[in-house]
Amino acid sequence: MIRYVGTRLWQSALTLILASLVVFIGVRQLPGDPALAMAGEEATPERVEAIREMLGLNESLASQYFTFVGNLLRGDFGESTRTGTPVTELIATTLPVTLWLSAYAIVVAVVVGILFGVIAERFRGRWPEWLANGFALVGLSVPNFWLGILAILYLAVTLGWFPASGYVDVASDPLRGLYYLTLPAIILGTGLAAVIMRQTRASMIETMSTDYVRTARAKGLGRGRVLMRYGLRNSLIVVVTIVGLQLGGLISGAVVTERIFALPGFGKLTLDAVFTRDYPVIQAVVLIITVSYIVINLAVDILYSVVNPKIRVGGAN
Amino acid sequence: MAATEIAATGTGPDNGPGNGSASAGLGSARGRIWRSLRRNPLGIAGGIMLALVVLAAVLAPVIAPYDPTEVHFDAPFQDPLTVGYLLGTDDLGRDIFSRMLFGMQASLQVGALSVLLAVVVGTPLGLLAGYWKGFDAVISRLTDVTLAFPFLIIAVGLAAISGPSLSNAAIALGIAQIPTMIRVVRGETLRIKESDFVLGARTMDASGLRIMAQHVLPNAASAIIVQATVIMPVAVIGEALLSFLGLGIQPPTPSLGIMLSDAQQYIFRSPTAAIFPGIAIAVICLAFNLFGDALRDALDPTSTSRSRSGKKNRK
Amino acid sequence: MPPTPFTPPAPPETRSRSPFKLAGVFASAVAVALAMTACQPLQALEPAPEREEVTTASLDGKTIVEGGDLVMALSAEPDRLDPTTSSSLYTRYVMQTMCQKLYDIDASGELIPQLATELPEVSEDGLTITIPVRQDAVFADGAEFNAEAVRQTLDRHLNLEGSSRASELGPITSIEATDEYTVEITYETPFAPLTAALADRAGMMLSPQALDAAGENFGDSPVCVGPFKFVDRVPQTSISVERDPLYYDAENVHLDTITYRIITDANIRAANLRSGDVHVADTISPQDIDALIQEDGIGILQVGSLGYQGLTINLGNTDGVGEPVGTIDTPLAQEAAVRMALSMSIDREALVNTVFNSWYQPACSPISPESPFTSELSEACPPFDPEGAVALLEEAGIETPYEIEMQVSNAPDTLRFAQALQAAVSEEGAFSLTIVPVEYSTLLDVQSRGDFEMLQLGWSGRVDPHGNMFNFLSTGGGNNYSGYSVDEVDTLLREAAQATDDDERAELYGQVVEKIQEDNPLIYLYRVRSLTAYTTNIAGVETFADGVVHLSNVAFIENEGAQP
Repeated sequence: MIRYVGTRLWQSALTLILASLVVFIGVRQLPGDPALAMAGEEATPERVEAIREMLGLNESLASQYFTFVGNLLRGDFGESTRTGTPVTELIATTLPVTLWLSAYAIVVAVVVGILFGVIAERFRGRWPEWLANGFALVGLSVPNFWLGILAILYLAVTLGWFPASGYVDVASDPLRGLYYLTLPAIILGTGLAAVIMRQTRASMIETMSTDYVRTARAKGLGRGRVLMRYGLRNSLIVVVTIVGLQLGGLISGAVVTERIFALPGFGKLTLDAVFTRDYPVIQAVVLIITVSYIVINLAVDILYSVVNPKIRVGGAN
Repeated sequence: MAATEIAATGTGPDNGPGNGSASAGLGSARGRIWRSLRRNPLGIAGGIMLALVVLAAVLAPVIAPYDPTEVHFDAPFQDPLTVGYLLGTDDLGRDIFSRMLFGMQASLQVGALSVLLAVVVGTPLGLLAGYWKGFDAVISRLTDVTLAFPFLIIAVGLAAISGPSLSNAAIALGIAQIPTMIRVVRGETLRIKESDFVLGARTMDASGLRIMAQHVLPNAASAIIVQATVIMPVAVIGEALLSFLGLGIQPPTPSLGIMLSDAQQYIFRSPTAAIFPGIAIAVICLAFNLFGDALRDALDPTSTSRSRSGKKNRK
Repeated sequence: MPPTPFTPPAPPETRSRSPFKLAGVFASAVAVALAMTACQPLQALEPAPEREEVTTASLDGKTIVEGGDLVMALSAEPDRLDPTTSSSLYTRYVMQTMCQKLYDIDASGELIPQLATELPEVSEDGLTITIPVRQDAVFADGAEFNAEAVRQTLDRHLNLEGSSRASELGPITSIEATDEYTVEITYETPFAPLTAALADRAGMMLSPQALDAAGENFGDSPVCVGPFKFVDRVPQTSISVERDPLYYDAENVHLDTITYRIITDANIRAANLRSGDVHVADTISPQDIDALIQEDGIGILQVGSLGYQGLTINLGNTDGVGEPVGTIDTPLAQEAAVRMALSMSIDREALVNTVFNSWYQPACSPISPESPFTSELSEACPPFDPEGAVALLEEAGIETPYEIEMQVSNAPDTLRFAQALQAAVSEEGAFSLTIVPVEYSTLLDVQSRGDFEMLQLGWSGRVDPHGNMFNFLSTGGGNNYSGYSVDEVDTLLREAAQATDDDERAELYGQVVEKIQEDNPLIYLYRVRSLTAYTTNIAGVETFADGVVHLSNVAFIENEGAQP
């Protein structure tokens, strides 16, 4: 066990170093020039040159990389080339938005997904199952950015049930904050809810056909009771795994959701940085996403191997 | 993404080695697959939808009443069912129906190209990684790195680097899917490698390459095909998304994503322009998801056997 | 993006018993959507109405409610809040409430003193300029405003590494505070555009105390003379300012605070305005404006821009801008007749009316009709004559359609225009445009490296025509992306910059326009119109030809039910 965890840790560190190199080089492969993007329409050759000098873009790639990593190790992510704001501050203001949004979306997805999953199992072969199945399929098939546009159009503007956009800090004003995030969270959570629903249903059906459940049923325990006691409990493990594994998808989804609902989050920060060639911001943002992704995967893998030593994912063959 | 980690080992958790259909004759397997598919009405529905979508896309030049880029300055923002414009027109008076047909064509092209890329690159790497431990370490690290970047970051990055276009969008989406494909194939290879007939072939001194080509690949085919049906809708939505963000197919070439991003500009004036392209994307993906589900059930012998016993249990 | 579909460990039971149900639901949904709108004939276009300038929502006759927190929706995020290094126009929106300038422009586009007390006094030889400044002003941090502070600020604009202002100020040799409230600027050669530059960011005065303390990081917490002072900035979200009690005209400031909320999506700006969550919104899309005008409680300000949108044709930019021009061996680059034909085959009026709902104005020159330097020559337009264009091409022995690759930014608005342009110039078969959309950052790079045949980009415009022409059209100019180099134009532009008489300058610039319309290194197409919307529970909003929305005098007013 310890060896397994050790191997995974070592692998993760290696992945991280590789990732930082990929990000660093990838960012510099973007066409266009950050100095030009920064100078905007007032770019003259002299001014662009001055900015390049200021940003240290005239130094060799290797020296830029070591400066970058060195600063990183000291916790210094640099400053946004566009607004001059320290990247750490940018992250501190945008990350909570995305975390709240994602957490809310996960809650929505888990509640809706499990509910529909239970319904589908409980009413097998009747219309509620069709409905739940249909929901899952549509949830997987409909692009959520389109859903977002429609939601703004009908739910926010025409019906006025939700604000069309905007963000209120959840920590300082929880009720209003959550109200503003409701529509985006529903949109973001739809795909995840569909996946959870399918898995819940599958796992329940499996549990319901196991010997011990059949024994329990034979002893006279009602179907509903069995479903709640055994089916749901087993499916929760599956749900936790899925949420962990789908986090990357959720981050991707958040990028677009934030764009559509004009939320000042991490995703919007990323896209804006890519479009304005804000190297320090792109690097920091992608690295942070990568690190969290690696950490979460690591945690899930290790948890998984604890729960079921037979499935050690990666590096343990 | 990493979801397929489970899929990769997925057939693993509860079916021991040697449980595969490996030794079953191909002919009978085909018959079984057909029977299974035919018994699955949703799968049939998906298949029919898929056929219709592909037909509409392929025949777009024939069906479409207008050139998709033809501008009609005298007829912008027409409502659906206006004379001459079945689904109305957009802000430049272009026929939405025609644009949608060509947009579906582009979506399917991107989808097919990225699936092709993922299969062509992912399969051999997955085979190598699954079969030889030496390759496994290298390839697995590389897939780890790629998987560490969320799909959209890779796609946005690649599209921004290589410049936005249809083929680059397809490449970006394909590359983003390669790691999952590698994992699926690797998992299958690990499983099949341990089966009796491969062990048998090994004792008969067959070379690794030969075993891979003759035994592993054919038996991993079903998993690859299923994974392809999973990638397809992801790629179709991915194309729309990239185009929506301005990083995919570029106007004037019609694409469903571009139609959506255009329509968002004037959504209050003409909401229908945003509705139809979205429905088209959903229909394409629904078709693939339905068909893919059915195919998975049909191709995966363990699931059929399990569901059969499941049925028995319920009776 | 729905999360990547999870490949399940094979669901044991997925048999459904209702075939086609989902497909059926979908089909009927489509059918219902279609049936909602009955079959109907083509809807005709309304003719383009006349657009009149509305620059001010006047406070006159309104009952002012003192205090209140105003929210303005900003269409783009400002860059550094540092007048010296800023290069984003949106920064001016925010800065103008905090940082007053030596000069300002009024509703008619004329320059007026703001922190200066009079227009600059220019010596006989045009080399020495004297500016008297206010004696009653104090910086928001309590530092005294005087000639020395002006000198220090201008010095920073000129010499700070990465300054965007240096070139705007011209060939200055020295800046001196001759007495406590008089500044003297000495030039190497006369430089007429100075006053206009001092009415923009170069004229914003920075607190010496804050400069000493913050240095390069002045923009993190700017301190100037102004009706409002900086409170904080939440990246990507908002910038807030509050009333400055030290401001010399504080009694005419009515609001307590102003919050600039960054809302980049035009639809969402409009939606927030409707719901009353914001009181002012800039850059309303021509797609939304007609609907907004209809609404009760919303007023619109509109003013033509000093800038332009146009096609830059690469004539000799082979090694990048700023490098000596090279030779490009295509008829488009070599023969003025081809470019003339292109200009003639564009029906600017019709294009603008279709693509921008007739809200924007056709343009044929870099000098806006709103500018005080407009003249008959600068207002002239090449005729729209597609047959003539074909004839011109045939005369030059060029096969039609002539193919041109046009790079454009992939912003939706630009792309729509590009596609309409493509359709329009091909109508008579004279030209065939290939649109190559690229990302904005890439386009800037392409433009600067000279890696294009033709591209479409705009210029936001400056008050003085020098700022709209010199760098773009003179040999070696910092923005001469076309690689245009004609001695006659260079001479005219230089003379115009040095002439001190406004009429003479207008005449010279007119001559440049005439020459440009023959050579067409740049084909001017249209001018945007700054469209600003506000809720009618406020008044005092102003927007002038520089496009900046002025909020300094805004106040909430009592609702009298009367709409402006």
